[in-house]
Amino acid sequence: MSSPDAAAIRPSSHSFDLRSLTYITHVDDNLCCPICQSPLVDPFTTSCRHTFCLACITDALKVSKSCPVDRSPLDTADIKMAPVVLANLVNDLTVLCPNHALGCSATLSRGNVEGHLKEDCQYVTVDCPGCGEKIMRKDRQGDSEDCVHVEEACRYCSEKHRKLDMKSHEAVCSAFTSSCRHCGIECPLSKILAHEATCDEAIVNCDSASVGCPWHGPRKESTTHSVSCPLTHLRPLLEEHNSRIANLERENKLLRRRLEASLTARAQTDIIQSNTTTALDNQTLRVLTEQERIRSDMERLYVSMQELDMKQNTLAMFMGENMRTQEEVAMIGAAVNNLQTQLHGLQLLTIRRQGMDQNGAGNRSDGPSSQVKRAAENGVLGRAGRECFSDMFETRD
Amino acid sequence: MEASSNLTAANAPKRAAEAGATVTKRLQTELMQLMLSPPPGISAFPRDGNLLSWTGTMAGPADTPFANLTFKLSLEFPSNYPMSPPNVTFTTPMFHPNVDMAGRICLDILKEKWSAVYNVQTVLLSLQSLLGEPNNKSPLNGQAADLWDRDPAEFKRLMLLRYREAEEE
Repeated sequence: MSSPDAAAIRPSSHSFDLRSLTYITHVDDNLCCPICQSPLVDPFTTSCRHTFCLACITDALKVSKSCPVDRSPLDTADIKMAPVVLANLVNDLTVLCPNHALGCSATLSRGNVEGHLKEDCQYVTVDCPGCGEKIMRKDRQGDSEDCVHVEEACRYCSEKHRKLDMKSHEAVCSAFTSSCRHCGIECPLSKILAHEATCDEAIVNCDSASVGCPWHGPRKESTTHSVSCPLTHLRPLLEEHNSRIANLERENKLLRRRLEASLTARAQTDIIQSNTTTALDNQTLRVLTEQERIRSDMERLYVSMQELDMKQNTLAMFMGENMRTQEEVAMIGAAVNNLQTQLHGLQLLTIRRQGMDQNGAGNRSDGPSSQVKRAAENGVLGRAGRECFSDMFETRD
Repeated sequence: MEASSNLTAANAPKRAAEAGATVTKRLQTELMQLMLSPPPGISAFPRDGNLLSWTGTMAGPADTPFANLTFKLSLEFPSNYPMSPPNVTFTTPMFHPNVDMAGRICLDILKEKWSAVYNVQTVLLSLQSLLGEPNNKSPLNGQAADLWDRDPAEFKRLMLLRYREAEEE
């Protein structure tokens, strides 16, 4: 490609927006940017691992310094290019050429769009090599450097037309003629087909060719032939026969199909009848096996029930033993209490004896034992102590 | 980061011109999604052939005073949508703690809590749930907020009265 051409195309290929492309196949939602909701363009991933188009996330960060998806704090420094595999996935999506509306029918992967616009697309706007006006690439006349806006004469009618419009003019030019293959008459290209359908010199078949007339000749002679053609007279009759044969064939086909259907049905019933008896035997066998299985299951269950019973009895035995032990413990507890009380009584008795000994020795000092004695006399410590003494004496006796 | 700053700098003038195209493309995508898989009880469509103003309809949620009623809303999209939230108002007369008499709505995600990932569908669904769960702490309609807790029967009566205004007009 020549360098002025490339320079001429660059602005248009740059100004096309990947986000405005039309995708042919359904695009997975995971490949779409949550902001523009279209397939990702230049995917970038945030530190919170959400992916957006670079342009979208940059715009969003201008408004609010947080991730649009989870609101975590975010700055332009926190976004990194997404993994290459993701970029490849979105670039492999199939799209229509951006110039689809202008007439380009190309479908291609998104990654190839730029190359297609640069090199191939015939509907890209380029500069006219002569005057620099914008034209479509397809309107350039090859690599010629001539201006396509220069008017030149039509090859046939010598009417003036721009080079650009010449092709569309030639399709309708009345002077662009062609001769009829049969009579040689000159006729504009647009009307030649209509003429040939009625040209007197055209070679046609006899009207009765369908029923076997081998005649063919110029159209103007076909009328004279048909007067003398024997098949033309017979044609109505032959055609009627043909249609009756066709009807009969259809009917025959239908009947044959019905017959086949009923035969197969009959054969199947036979097979089913012969099968029924064996099927019944099989069923009985199955029922018997099942019964046997259930019986063995029952036996196993009975054994485990007995085991459980035994275990329960043992448990009850242990429970009884446990109860007895508890009672014994309670009894021991009571005996210990009793012993404690007796010990207490004995202590009191000892204290009192000491006091009495001191009284007998004529010592009237206020010792602890005399206090105890007084308290006992006043009935403060009294009753328990006294009862203890009597108990003690009784037991001793 | 060098790469990204280069890219944005190069794109800046072009992007200003494309701003309108971006909004249009995004709204077209949303409209397509709403048409292809319409969520139950919600619909929205551009009005008067203008892609930046939509009319939405929303069914009142079941088990609320608004059940079996249909509400119309107006959605006006700014030219930098979805970076800024759409301006959403009730066009059906509304009696609700967070909606004033002119139909203006007090909802955080339509104001400071807006995020570019929200769309028409999520906004309408949020409004639908706002109907059943009003925020009575910052009411725009004090009477409605008061009655909502104190006298549900009276709330429903006043709400229906206001709703009927629309039908009579």
